[in-house]
Amino acid sequence: MIELNGVRKAYKVGDELLMVLHGIDLRIEEGEFVSIMGPSGSGKSTLMHIIGCLDTPSAGEYRLRGTSVGGLSARDLAVLRNRTIGFVFQNFHLLPRITAVRNVELPLLYAGVSRAQRRSRALELLARVGMADRAQHLPTALSGGQKQRVAIARALANDPALILADEPTGALDQRTGLEIIELLRELHSAGRTIVVITHDPTVAAAADRTIYIVDGHIQREEVRRG
Amino acid sequence: MNAWEMVSMALISLRTNKLRSFLTMLGILIGVASIIAIVAIGNGGKAAVLGAIASGSAQNTIQIVPRELVAPGLPQPGQVLAIDESDLAIAASFSGVQQVNYTLYGTAVVGSGNRSDNASIEAGPANLNELTRLQITRGHMFSQADVIGHRDVAVLSQSLANKLFGSGNPIGGLVTVSGVPLQVIGVAVSQQASLFSLFMGSDALYMPATTCQDLFPNWSISEMDVQAAPGTNLQNLAQRIVTALNIHAGDATAFADSSGLASSVGALLSKVTTILTLVIGAIAGIALLVGGVGVMNIMLVSVTERTQEIGIRISLGATRTAILFQFLVESATITAIGGLAGVVIGSLIGLGIRMATGIPASVPWPIAVLSFLFSAVIGVVCGLYPANKAARLNPIEALRYE
Repeated sequence: MIELNGVRKAYKVGDELLMVLHGIDLRIEEGEFVSIMGPSGSGKSTLMHIIGCLDTPSAGEYRLRGTSVGGLSARDLAVLRNRTIGFVFQNFHLLPRITAVRNVELPLLYAGVSRAQRRSRALELLARVGMADRAQHLPTALSGGQKQRVAIARALANDPALILADEPTGALDQRTGLEIIELLRELHSAGRTIVVITHDPTVAAAADRTIYIVDGHIQREEVRRG
Repeated sequence: MNAWEMVSMALISLRTNKLRSFLTMLGILIGVASIIAIVAIGNGGKAAVLGAIASGSAQNTIQIVPRELVAPGLPQPGQVLAIDESDLAIAASFSGVQQVNYTLYGTAVVGSGNRSDNASIEAGPANLNELTRLQITRGHMFSQADVIGHRDVAVLSQSLANKLFGSGNPIGGLVTVSGVPLQVIGVAVSQQASLFSLFMGSDALYMPATTCQDLFPNWSISEMDVQAAPGTNLQNLAQRIVTALNIHAGDATAFADSSGLASSVGALLSKVTTILTLVIGAIAGIALLVGGVGVMNIMLVSVTERTQEIGIRISLGATRTAILFQFLVESATITAIGGLAGVVIGSLIGLGIRMATGIPASVPWPIAVLSFLFSAVIGVVCGLYPANKAARLNPIEALRYE
């Protein structure tokens, strides 16, 4: 599913080159639930951006489902983000001025799905995350946990193989966070590959395998199940 | 995503910022509305001038006036100030001339009962209504017999009839001019284009030329109306008659062909109107340009404000093209709506002027369509830079933007 070989990433800060990732080698198989842990500044966010095709490696190779991402055009990357990856963000990142159901429709819109199909698929997904009765609410009228459920429904819109969650419980209280983790586990049981980036050990522990990143290196990994 | 969905998305986004969208629209609206209104007034003015010229000259008629009347000023010693019987006879002697009539103009107090009004008097032949384009709305025009018989009859303009008779029926009533009672036999509406009646006023009394000469023996004949046979070269005939009259008067500039003058004045007026329309139109165009700059400015602000939204859309799989189009359509939607409203409001202004002044202001539909399309194009052009800026945002930085 995910294959990183010697991935490096450097940013130019002023005149200096800041090395964020120093050669990451990583394999995540189809259907795995993996958490990536590390302190802030460890490079885990940069790694997530590369895995999520929002950024490209400076050196090394990233293969997603066998395709080398480095050689893809901006348009191909957009299609990949649209069809293969579903993002879940810490701050939900719902568009504030459109209703929950319209938020869920967005990836379908960019996939060129017709209006009627978009609506029925979005409502079905909202029902699946327990948000059927909130479809016509604006995000501002939803609680944090409800927003994250809508965001997860949106991530599932095009039935992506990979769910990429960046601190999905970071902005939630403990109980709601656990509910979201439970929702992610359910999706995993249904066969989806889940990668969670977190610095919260409780969240990391929900995954089958945890990869620890420190200073742009993989320090160690811990396998619990699988 | 089809075009309609993009527009409806743009509308949703514009609706969330109603006041700002409206103010941005206003710039375009004012620009387009002023262009439309100016074109309408310019067109109306031109039509009025051309109509006045057409109405000034009846078919196959040459109007000859003494020079003094053409260019008022201090009369030179011996200058011909009026047309006399011998001049009429000279004109009548030309081949191709069917009839020579004459017209007198002046002003007099017209009374009826205890009401009176200062009106312009136009006295002429039985076809005076054709010469000055009168439409008889009640009663009838005076006849050739009335002219020959020096009969005391008169036709009133609608406004004069209203002033003297109120809502009553003026036909058969009596009016007094210079102490002599005249019987009202008709009411007429001047069809001379309104631009002229604006200057001349519309209270007028029309009577046979002979009657007028009886009433005002010292009034001079102010115009000679030469009726030519159909198919005559009017310009040539007019020139020959004028030359003959001038030789007779012993003054090379004694008479002039006023029908020719009217059309040359008309051409000049029409030219002036066109130039004015262009100049004011150019100013309105600048207003539109300023409106366009306003759209661009607001779109830039909007792109900055919505940086995170753009980042989110990119993460959900929006291509750069999709982002570009989103903002382009938004910008074009603002200006297209503004343009449409501008066309409507500009047309209403034209209509208002038409009703208030009678100038036949009208907007040709290609101008309206063109203005609308042009405002949409302004939206696309002015949206291009902001939209491109949005499409080129780095998704990671955009997502982090607060």
